[in-house]
Amino acid sequence: MTKKAKVLTLSLILALLMSAGSVLAKEPIDVGSKNFTEQLILGKMLVIYLDHHGYDVVDRTGLSGTQATRTALESGEIDVYWEYTGTAWLVALKHDQAITDSQLVYNKVKAEDAQKNDLIWLDMAKFNNTYTLMMRRDEAEKLGIKTLSDLAAHVRKNPKAIKFGTDHEFYARPDGFPALEKLYNFRFDRGNVIIMDAGLTYKALRDGQVDVSMGFATDGRIAAFDLVNMIDDKKFFPVYNPAPVVRKEILDQYPELADLLNKIGPKLDTETMTRLNYEVDIEGKTPEEVAENFLKEAGLI
Amino acid sequence: MSEVATTLTTKQMNRRISFKSFGEFALRWLLVPLILIGAGTGFAVYIITHTTDFIVKDFLTYDRLIAAGLEHIKLVLVSSFLAIAFSLPMGIIISRPRFKRLEKWVVGITNVGQTVPSIAILGLFMGFFGLGFKTAIFALWLYALLPILRNTLAGIRSVNPGIIQAAHGMGMHPMRILFKIELPLALKVIMGGIRTAVVINVGTAALATFIGAGGFGDLIVTGLKLSRMEILLTGAVSTALLAILADYLLSHVEAKLISYGD
Repeated sequence: MTKKAKVLTLSLILALLMSAGSVLAKEPIDVGSKNFTEQLILGKMLVIYLDHHGYDVVDRTGLSGTQATRTALESGEIDVYWEYTGTAWLVALKHDQAITDSQLVYNKVKAEDAQKNDLIWLDMAKFNNTYTLMMRRDEAEKLGIKTLSDLAAHVRKNPKAIKFGTDHEFYARPDGFPALEKLYNFRFDRGNVIIMDAGLTYKALRDGQVDVSMGFATDGRIAAFDLVNMIDDKKFFPVYNPAPVVRKEILDQYPELADLLNKIGPKLDTETMTRLNYEVDIEGKTPEEVAENFLKEAGLI
Repeated sequence: MSEVATTLTTKQMNRRISFKSFGEFALRWLLVPLILIGAGTGFAVYIITHTTDFIVKDFLTYDRLIAAGLEHIKLVLVSSFLAIAFSLPMGIIISRPRFKRLEKWVVGITNVGQTVPSIAILGLFMGFFGLGFKTAIFALWLYALLPILRNTLAGIRSVNPGIIQAAHGMGMHPMRILFKIELPLALKVIMGGIRTAVVINVGTAALATFIGAGGFGDLIVTGLKLSRMEILLTGAVSTALLAILADYLLSHVEAKLISYGD
């Protein structure tokens, strides 16, 4: 054989092998997540769980915010991640009126995503990661503030006395800050509202740079920094549960996947999730080991 | 008669000249800034009046835009001013032969400041300066140091040593040599450094929103978090136009300063 012919045969064989490979092997499952503690734990859970059950998994957790993660799912760069119903409704599906009923908003996003985007919402987890307003325990006790109504009354009397820390999303969400002020009928002085990164609100509150902060109810730092959640006595904060959202294509390839993944959610209640977050944020464990320990304890692997 | 006529023409000429230079002044200093500000305002007004999304409507108000703009400008002005006030004298000092050994330390330290990601600096110094303005100013200041310092040094070093020797030979005092020869000749390079620093600062100041210091970053990050491109774009376009505006104004300051030297 001439040199040219050799190269040609070789590349032909290679091309054949490659095309055969792509037909035979099933697509690996790409697991994504956003880049904060709870999402990292949930993402790693999927990675370890699926890997344990013999799937070919690609770990792409810790992508970025809602926008990036959701875009990755829609474009097929990832195949599954945990999303919160309320966030999907407002941010991903771009509705501008909030629905605060937990089951209703789940049904709505599930229907719309299945119809429009070929994305399937599996069962919701039991825990809900809703927003909360927090204060330092000592100051809350000193001022006698236990509920959001107490806080509203205090702010009405001394509008300039209280500094409020919030992240960008809560500040602008229609089911966030503006609606909260409306329902409880008070208004923070705008110069006293400090918008910052979501991860900083706990620390800023602990260090006394703000007096009230928004946070997430399941965050481990609330207990660790001796902060208290104010009681939402008018039931303002909507309950948004997370659920794994999977691309339909992948479910068609692996029909048994839905049942398998639906086993995780029921084991995750609010206390458990708070504890898992605490282990990462405060005890300094990695999201990976926390996820693995949980799966073992829960008898899932 | 002829005397009067001459005076008149001179007067007229003076008037013409001053008018012409005022027209030129307006054209040079005001036209481009007005176009830039007009473009930004037009963009924002278009978005605000054409959006149908309630989230965008509630968040994107004229009050907020103005407040964010003022915060952004204040961050850039204060940090750039402080950076010039530090780097320019420092650059001059270490360009003197007897302080040459300081150079590697000073440049090294400002270099390190430049290599740490800006977001990390914000996080690191939040512990010292707290949330908001002071931390943001510190981080922006640190970022602006290197370009100004480097260019001050490079500018002074680029002056032909022959000229300085000649000045020495004429018996000029070193201070006089610095102010009459070295700095004027280095001016273009120094101003280049200042322009770089200010333009970088306009962009970096958008990160100040993460530590509660406001600015156009408020719009950019909110738009990103809520996937509302209208909010994001308004913030991004405003930041970009502000950077162009700052560079334009500084280029004129530079031209003005250099023409004084002539």
